[in-house]
Amino acid sequence: MKKILLATALAGIVALLAPHHAARAEATVAPGASVDMVLLPKFLGILPFDQAHQGAEEAAKELKNGKKLQYLGPTPENSVAGQIEIVTNAATQGVGAIMISNNSGDQIVPAAKAAKAKGAKVVTWDSQIPSAEGEDVFVAQVDFSETGKVMADMALHILGADGGKFAILSASPDAANQNAWIAAMKDALKDPKYSKLELQGIVYGNDQSETSYNQALAMVDKFPGMKLIMAPTSVGIVAAAKAMQDEKLCDKIKISGLGVPSEMLAYTKNGCAPEFALWSFVDLGYLSYYTAYGLATGAFKAEAGTSFKAGRMGTYTITKDPTRKAGLRVLMGPFSLYNKDNVEAAAK
Amino acid sequence: MTLPPILRRWEALLLLMLVVIAGLNIVYSPFYLGVGNIVNLFQLSIEKIIVALMMTLIIINGEIDLSVASVMGLSSCVTAYTFHAGWPMGWALTAGLASGAVAGAINGFWIAYVGLPSLAVTLAGLIGYRGVARILVEDRAYGGFPEWFNQLGQQPLLGPLTFSIIIFLAMFVFMAVVLHRSAAGRLVYVMGNNVQAARYSGVRVKRVKLLLFVASGVVAALAGLLYSARLGSVRGDMAVGFELDVITIVLLGGVSIFGGSGNLLGVGLSILVILNLRNGMGLADITGNTQTSVIGALLILSVLVPNMARGLHSKLQGRET
Repeated sequence: MKKILLATALAGIVALLAPHHAARAEATVAPGASVDMVLLPKFLGILPFDQAHQGAEEAAKELKNGKKLQYLGPTPENSVAGQIEIVTNAATQGVGAIMISNNSGDQIVPAAKAAKAKGAKVVTWDSQIPSAEGEDVFVAQVDFSETGKVMADMALHILGADGGKFAILSASPDAANQNAWIAAMKDALKDPKYSKLELQGIVYGNDQSETSYNQALAMVDKFPGMKLIMAPTSVGIVAAAKAMQDEKLCDKIKISGLGVPSEMLAYTKNGCAPEFALWSFVDLGYLSYYTAYGLATGAFKAEAGTSFKAGRMGTYTITKDPTRKAGLRVLMGPFSLYNKDNVEAAAK
Repeated sequence: MTLPPILRRWEALLLLMLVVIAGLNIVYSPFYLGVGNIVNLFQLSIEKIIVALMMTLIIINGEIDLSVASVMGLSSCVTAYTFHAGWPMGWALTAGLASGAVAGAINGFWIAYVGLPSLAVTLAGLIGYRGVARILVEDRAYGGFPEWFNQLGQQPLLGPLTFSIIIFLAMFVFMAVVLHRSAAGRLVYVMGNNVQAARYSGVRVKRVKLLLFVASGVVAALAGLLYSARLGSVRGDMAVGFELDVITIVLLGGVSIFGGSGNLLGVGLSILVILNLRNGMGLADITGNTQTSVIGALLILSVLVPNMARGLHSKLQGRET
């Protein structure tokens, strides 16, 4: 009798394990399910979030979700309490998945945990839950350590094989993300491949147009022989490009960094900023939707090693998040590089 | 053609609004009447409505306290800071409450004893106490509080009721008794109507005002600590902007911004109106911007309608005679 029980139990375990392994191969996300899903930005009225919404809608259409995607956000001045309220109400309504660009740090944790307890899948995108509690998986836009290499590559590409001197125009001295990117770039520069690039210094424009503009002009005198300004901030890069254009210095000094295509269009077309980078928020919304839909429909589980196909963007794998102590991550990457050939299309 | 007195009262109108809103919620959302949702409805705004009870007394007294949200931030940051500096949680919480009492006493001193307007003093408090809170925690987020503390803020304690909801209900009853059934409550009204007359009839105006502001500070500090427990983590921007929601609730409740009139029944109904409205709009997937506009419109109406009604009423009476 005992043996039979044991055998049955073993068979059960094998049966449980089998689909588990199958899922690791590559899960297919089947369209046509009806799942209530909520896309929650940090707050409303910001272009990149609207772009993410657009991408999520695109995915919703492809996946033929019978339920309309709810794009709900708080007002900027009520972001934390508003996000908590929306997550709580979504849980009450029994939605299948909530996609959060978290602006509340760990303060969202109790609400997110409650939503998970009610059966909702919680996917974060753009900005994660630091402790990863209450979160199924984080869809990260880019690997922040990649930012350094991308900037070094752009510098080399613009300056040519002979390289040259360049300087960085950053946001503020205590902006955590910018500092991480600059540190990553310094790291990347150690590679012999970039030995011809010489970093002259870092200047801060505090992410204000006026200050950044003046700082860019000051850099021209401060760093003799400077051929490139690298600005890893969407405010700084526009201000620097405008400063060089106004002073008719674009032939001698080029601009690059992280920028928004619609704001950079003119400067990329006229050669002041031949190349810059950013991730696509449309793609980020699209991938987040596929991830959340797949989890909510049970197509795959939030486990390290799971792979799934996200429509036009191809196959992604869930891994442990190396940037946090706990938590899982889907890394979107890579950066989108923009130049005169593709900036116009991206600016629309 | 005069309405029966009961219907002319502001509370009757609030009750009507509440019935309409609750009715719409029942019709449009199958989730509205769930016990969990009703608890959430209170829980999501519980700190604001606790502070609103004390704010009712302050405004009836003819004053205002704009610093309440900053005091909420201050108490939570003081508690988080001292706890992470190694203090036992009990002492850290006491320090948080004490910071509220001190903030309230500072407000009260300038208002009652120096005679500065509360609008200016508590505006300074709004900026100053928030500043201290931010200096204490900087850009960090402090979590890792003892499990019992988080449980207290997030889990039901008595049936479906949370600790915060029980505190709110107890405070509501207590405040109602104080305001409407005690001599102290009469003083609050008398001073709000005519502070000179109160002074000449021997009321210790300064002491009463100081006590009111200290109480306001302590209640705000308590609300801040309940908020910390509910969120399980503290940041420097805790409760930013909450003072406006609190004042909105009190004014919609029919309390005159000039002091001297209003009652807790009205404020209680106003709390139910706003919370049910927010909850209904949330369940109907209406975004933050629209919610803010609707509540703003409601407040404008609450100021306009009674005044217009009064004007119309006196005109009609004028014609009859």
